[in-house]
Amino acid sequence: MSAFWSAWIMFLIVLNLSITFFLFLWGPRVAIPTLKDGTTGHVWAHGVLREGVRKLPLWWVVLSASMFVVGFIYLVLYPGFGRSAGVLDWTAHRELATDTERNNAILDERMKRFALYSVEELAHDKDATRMGRILFEDNCAACHGREATGNALLGAPNLTANAWLYGGDGKTLMTSILDGRHGVMPPWASLGEDNVVNLAHYVLSLSGAAHDDAKAALGKPLFATCAACHGPEGKGNPALGAPNLTDQIWLYGGTLAAVEESIRHGRSGTMPAWRTRLGENDARVIAAWIFSLSHRDVAAGASPATK
Amino acid sequence: MAGGYKYFEAIEKHAGLLGILTAIMVSIGGLAEITPMFMEAHKVQPADGVKPYDPLRLAGRDIYVREGCYLCHSQMIRALRFETQRYGHYSVASESVYDRPFQWGSKRTGPDLARIGGKYSDDWQRLHLQDPRKVAPDSNMPGYPWLEKTPLDASDIQARMRVLRMLGDPYSDADIASAPEALKDKNELDALVAYLQGLGVKNEPASMTAASPASDGGTP
Repeated sequence: MSAFWSAWIMFLIVLNLSITFFLFLWGPRVAIPTLKDGTTGHVWAHGVLREGVRKLPLWWVVLSASMFVVGFIYLVLYPGFGRSAGVLDWTAHRELATDTERNNAILDERMKRFALYSVEELAHDKDATRMGRILFEDNCAACHGREATGNALLGAPNLTANAWLYGGDGKTLMTSILDGRHGVMPPWASLGEDNVVNLAHYVLSLSGAAHDDAKAALGKPLFATCAACHGPEGKGNPALGAPNLTDQIWLYGGTLAAVEESIRHGRSGTMPAWRTRLGENDARVIAAWIFSLSHRDVAAGASPATK
Repeated sequence: MAGGYKYFEAIEKHAGLLGILTAIMVSIGGLAEITPMFMEAHKVQPADGVKPYDPLRLAGRDIYVREGCYLCHSQMIRALRFETQRYGHYSVASESVYDRPFQWGSKRTGPDLARIGGKYSDDWQRLHLQDPRKVAPDSNMPGYPWLEKTPLDASDIQARMRVLRMLGDPYSDADIASAPEALKDKNELDALVAYLQGLGVKNEPASMTAASPASDGGTP
């Protein structure tokens, strides 16, 4: 702030306080002319209401006086009087830094302990999974749902089914969270509408879902194209994030229409990268909670990290 | 001070005089708190990476304003621990230099959006804007299904950019000339999603972790 504007603010503060302080001292001392009955002579409602003259109540005088005192102390201690930083040298940024440091000191202690264990081991730790769940709800639930069961409208996978596009071990979970994923299925409308429908029936037959046998038989030879990513048996490929088509778990829904749509127009699903937003520590506890969801039996066991 | 009463009487009996004196006393607060910041606003330089809105985002920003998003969403992360932990580095003045008017907002029915860019995928943003219940079952945000059906009006984008240039945004002639092309075949949802996905991206001050007062980008 320039010297001019600093002086401007100081001037206005002094002016404001001088006027109000002067009125505070002077006002009660002004003699108000009164009639014989002790009123000012101002009447309302045809004389029913008359304006009396009373001394200011003590509580009012004391409260007003203390406002001047508090205002003065505030300007001495805190920033406000022009460029003055105040005796306490307080700033919002410094307070934030202190709060953050204090908060991190508590968090770091836990995080340091968590860092000693793998995601799989942390899945046993109630402390870690509780923290992971809270972070999940704030950051991940928007797509994967609060119970982590996914959202077929977005192609956000169900994280509770122990069926993984890229692999469900702790390391892979960490990579998925920190660096994100982008799964692309190219469109195959060029095969022709009949072939798309036949192929869809064949894909449904892989997991034993309701399908038309004749159409599936016609679609079977076409699957060679799909096998490049989904594998000859349709079991998927975690290196590419190509889903397993035989397990009755569907990213975008398992109806005939949804499968046809996937083949016809392709799919493109994005999991954003969370490295800068969350960092490794937060990602680790989230991964631990996610891992625990599909390993309930394991999670119910002993807690190595809390020992 | 027997004579003092005549001054009180004069003020009490002349509504115009009472009004003027009241206005003077009330305005002192504003003159002290608002005027200096206002007069020195031009000294705030854009933070590293903060650039004027490209045409699509600019159009999206106008839709954001038109639909009144600011009535429920702030774009102002306060310097408080629980805010920075959830939303990221607190907002600084140097991030808002190209926001006319700024969208800081004063009410949060929904979450703060200052650094929402990239938090969710484009698909999520599109689905969520059409019907928020499709991704968040207990959301009370209204849906905006018409955005996808409304083609983007490119007729005044050049005029808007020229006005912003008059106000100091560094758009080049080429930027303005190519603006209608950037909006071609886009709908309003495309523009709004582009705007949202750019919020806070690359705008984070270099001092992300330092939180030092010296690097707050020109708060006077």
